[in-house]
Amino acid sequence: MHEITSSLPPACDFNEVRRVEGFDRIREQYPDFLSDESKLTMGPFDLLFFPANESELSAVVKEMVRRNIPITVAGARTGLVGGCVPPEGALVSLAQMSKVLAVYHAPYAREWRIRAEAAVRLADIDKMAESKRFPDLEKSQDPFVIEQLRLYGGEQQRYFYPPDPTEMSASIGGSVATNASGARTFRFGPTRDWVRGIRVMTMTGEVLDIPRGKYFSSPSGWFTVYDGKGSCYPVRIPDYQMPRTKNTAGFYASPHMDLVDLFIGSEGSFGIITSVDIALLAWQPKCSIILFTESDERALHLVETLRSDKRLKLDFLEFYSSSAMDLLRDMQAGDPRHVGMPAIPESAGAAVFFDVGFDPLEEKPDFRALEESTASAGVYLADSWAGYEPRELARFKAFRHLLPEKITQVLSERKKTYPGLHRLSSDLAVPDEHLFDMWRLYRTQLDQAGFEWVAFGHVGNNHLHVSTMPRNMEELERGLRLYAQFAQKAAAYGGAVSAEHGVGKIKSKFLAKMYSADEINQMHAVKTALDPDMLLNPGNIFAA
Amino acid sequence: MEIVVAVKQVPEISEVKINRETGTLIREGVASILNPFCEYALDHAVRLKAANPEIRITALSMGPPQARAALLRALELGADRAILVCDRKFAGADTWATALTLSEAIHQFVPGYKLILVGKQAIDGDTAQVGPELAEMLSLPQISYGIEAELTAGLKRIRVKREIESGYQIMEARLPALVSFSKGEVIRRAPSFKEILGARAKQIKVADASELGLAEKEVGLSGSHTHVVKIFPPSQKVHGRMLTGLEAGEAGREICLFLKDRGIPTDSDMRYRT
Amino acid sequence: MLLIDPQKCNACKLCEHNCPFEAIKIVDDQPEVDDSCTLCGSCINVCTRGALSIKRRIVSARELAQYRGVMVIAECELRDGVLQPKKVVYELLSKGRQLADKLREELVAVAMGDERMASLDTLCHHGADRVLRCIHPLLGEFSTDGFCTVLSTVITRLKPSIVLYGATPNGRELAPRVAARLRLGLTADCTGLDIDEQGQLVQTRPAFGGNIMASIIAPNSRPQTATVRPNVFTADYLDPDRPVQVQKQPVHLSKAAIRTRVVSEIRFPCEEIAKIEAARIIVSAGRGCCKEKDLKKAGLLAEKLGGAMACSRPLVEEGLMPHTCQVGQSGNTVCPDIYIAAGISGAVQHAVGMNSSKTIIAINEDPEAPIFRIADLGIVGDAGQILSALLDALHTPSPASDSGQSEAGRGVGIAD
Repeated sequence: MHEITSSLPPACDFNEVRRVEGFDRIREQYPDFLSDESKLTMGPFDLLFFPANESELSAVVKEMVRRNIPITVAGARTGLVGGCVPPEGALVSLAQMSKVLAVYHAPYAREWRIRAEAAVRLADIDKMAESKRFPDLEKSQDPFVIEQLRLYGGEQQRYFYPPDPTEMSASIGGSVATNASGARTFRFGPTRDWVRGIRVMTMTGEVLDIPRGKYFSSPSGWFTVYDGKGSCYPVRIPDYQMPRTKNTAGFYASPHMDLVDLFIGSEGSFGIITSVDIALLAWQPKCSIILFTESDERALHLVETLRSDKRLKLDFLEFYSSSAMDLLRDMQAGDPRHVGMPAIPESAGAAVFFDVGFDPLEEKPDFRALEESTASAGVYLADSWAGYEPRELARFKAFRHLLPEKITQVLSERKKTYPGLHRLSSDLAVPDEHLFDMWRLYRTQLDQAGFEWVAFGHVGNNHLHVSTMPRNMEELERGLRLYAQFAQKAAAYGGAVSAEHGVGKIKSKFLAKMYSADEINQMHAVKTALDPDMLLNPGNIFAA
Repeated sequence: MEIVVAVKQVPEISEVKINRETGTLIREGVASILNPFCEYALDHAVRLKAANPEIRITALSMGPPQARAALLRALELGADRAILVCDRKFAGADTWATALTLSEAIHQFVPGYKLILVGKQAIDGDTAQVGPELAEMLSLPQISYGIEAELTAGLKRIRVKREIESGYQIMEARLPALVSFSKGEVIRRAPSFKEILGARAKQIKVADASELGLAEKEVGLSGSHTHVVKIFPPSQKVHGRMLTGLEAGEAGREICLFLKDRGIPTDSDMRYRT
Repeated sequence: MLLIDPQKCNACKLCEHNCPFEAIKIVDDQPEVDDSCTLCGSCINVCTRGALSIKRRIVSARELAQYRGVMVIAECELRDGVLQPKKVVYELLSKGRQLADKLREELVAVAMGDERMASLDTLCHHGADRVLRCIHPLLGEFSTDGFCTVLSTVITRLKPSIVLYGATPNGRELAPRVAARLRLGLTADCTGLDIDEQGQLVQTRPAFGGNIMASIIAPNSRPQTATVRPNVFTADYLDPDRPVQVQKQPVHLSKAAIRTRVVSEIRFPCEEIAKIEAARIIVSAGRGCCKEKDLKKAGLLAEKLGGAMACSRPLVEEGLMPHTCQVGQSGNTVCPDIYIAAGISGAVQHAVGMNSSKTIIAINEDPEAPIFRIADLGIVGDAGQILSALLDALHTPSPASDSGQSEAGRGVGIAD
């Protein structure tokens, strides 16, 4: 079925919606709402709404459309590309829509799912899924909700929500709107793979209820959306090919695609996600391993070996370059407690991180495959740190996330001398066969330029974050040019210019490196079909 | 040279919660770990071994079958072998019965020991009694609250830097001796995956009461001098007020009023006296 | 009874020299024991051959009844060149007085030290019926072996029904050693003591880091022994007119009995500790209040309220505060009238050091922080900002301050 009809939520009075009016008041009372984690700020805006439910949201949308005022939507404001920073008009915070609606078992899919409003935080979802305690649901009057909650609570098995986009204070709605990914994407795919349905409000103020697997594009590539009044909004799916890498640049498109996928990762271009259904996965005990290698190249070689060994099931494959290790050694020399791990061995030239399934009480665990595979890459399990207790898993995770913090710290120190300075960071992914090509490009170019740089991140997906810490404004200028070249090259290798951070307002200019003018026009056509006046999230993806 | 490190498995205490209605501990989902102070003792055993390779480290624990996990951690971190004394009859042991059981196990399985290392206390019971009681039962001199240790030439004596109230002391004793530790590695060590696998290749010896030659009335609850007669939650502050979402200024004024209500003079030029 | 393994004995006479009761004699290269042996165990520790052991039997109820009286171990510390009882001793005496009165038995204090020992009359003023002074040159400095030997002898001779120690580092080292030697039940770190209908000591102590309380008895052994947490009981018993009875106790102790040797010692000045322990108001900073300016504010507030400043362990570990200021399991135990916990999550290791404070005010960003479970007033927010605001508020008395309005709801939730 490619036709879908939206419906109007119960009416409510626009004047009842909680709001702050006037930019001065917003700036004084809610300074955090002027920006997100990108630290981008834009022009003044005069309206800030806090709708508590779909009815209130609908009233806001209809009123803003009537007055022709653009709307920007904010979740937990953890994005890195300014997606929720309003250029003008109104900001709608979904912060009040933060209830978990159900945990339920889907019998055909044989999986447990959580239905939650957009602003529920990932950290809370994690906590509730694990502890099996849902404060929102315990008060429910709905016998189905209570019964399912009881069944879930009775499960012996522990469950978890696989996407792990590092920033756990993000909202579930935001993570679906941006198709967030992270380390575990290597094994479990991005957020998209775990979304089982969404409710989304279009600019008519009506809601589309889209379970996965119900609405597919027609053979000629069309969806038709009807609103409650019978108006029709035909949408044609672009015909470009998506890159073979993980990707958050541009709208998802494929033949016979599911309508739910059009909204996932669209960065709020077509509608406002109000609630989502996500799937949980049975949790297996595991062991975190940090394997040290003599050099960066040896580490990349190890990565290729490990991921081509089909016997191994690694949750993720992450990387710290040798320069990253040096930076952490500096930290340890200052105060080892800031790193929280034993002294990094002197022989360690780089490190590769991964998790393996591991039952601590198994009598004779068999890890021959892992031993053989690593040894064939010239790397040995004796040169590692490993831990499997919950406190150790948490400690190893903190270590994997430590480097970005350190980079921020180094730069904020330099900013005191050069206030305009900022880090240069890449978010490029390439297909498997170009991992080494891309690495050589980074290494020769950055070393030639004499930059201070480190590489870390999702090497299993050929998706490294290469961070340069410019020492002055001249280095920053040269670096920016170099990073533009990197993006060009990644796109030429068939990769993605924004593998996980999205496009938002900051990276809209990169889109042209990956897509032709015609392809961008096709995206634009989808946008105007559903938001003819371009009032929703202006400036995102398509530069104003 | 034989060193025994006596260890205990404990719940990760920061996670323990109380069921307010029943007054019992919610142990569900709380991870078990090697008691951190025991891990410190092991750290020191491993350091002594690094300086004196002829040392052999035996990790010894009394506990339920699950306590095997704590011994595995000890093996990963460098113990050469592990012994678990495990019997339903040991259940309910107080510190006396525990120390007696451990002392018998040491007599039986590590008769040639020169050094017993323990953590200063376990983080669940916090009694800090088993170490000194074990020392007395084995007639050993004891040095408590150690933070550094070295064996002097000829492995005849141990010299320990220990914490005392308001300072440090260097104390020495002739071997055999018992030392308890209050500090070890500042940062918890991380074994290699090879060591984790290696620990699982080693045998953990399991011994029961009869193997130790201990009669039922000497061990567990019946061998204990102290009996717990009541367990209850600590008295809760019933009327504790919790304020959320206040502006800093409001919060400051709230505290100020609260202090005033309790008769604390809050004028800037007055001092509180009783 | 004392068992002698003739195979192991080499007739070195160490046991003979060390027996406080002169109960052992080497006759024909073999030790012989007479009836004056009290099974105090002093000989076993000095025997280098492991030739001696004790076999004890279960005591009957009639024998248990022979044990009478409450004994308080008066741990002394060197102040101004004089060995004087620690503060906890007076707390023990006040509590011990109540227990002794309930049992209608005597309260005895035992102090061990060398010639620098104070006169100890004050112990009687604080409730002791008599004081035993055990003076010996080898007791000038604490040693587990020396103190254990002397104390075991005193207990064996006196047969008290209850022995109380302060749960100080030395007390917690000595008590289990004595308990193991004399086969006694021992309860660690008690925060409550009472006598039940059978005249037994009911000892209450926290476990699991204060998450749970346990009441414990020792029905079949005497004396019943316990270490008692300092700063929990108040030292409120004082009667300067009580008769003073201080008796010198004979001490038999040889150098060979002490098997540890202090090589050297570094002591820190301890004014900070004394200040924190004595303070009626404490402002304590934790991880959520560790910026330099926040610490300054906390210090300023402490000063303004006439109290002391303390902290939780992370701040000591980060080198931001000295160890002497640390409150918690590995630091000081305090019980001020008001404890302001700024940015302290209140993990059990911290809570055990402060949860007997009369009033606790907690400021923390995390509404789930365990500190709020024990707080009388809990405020969710940034500790640094709120401390500034509090300092401001202290400057400008609020006009509404005397209307008792602080109990009104003001649109805020009241936690259970």
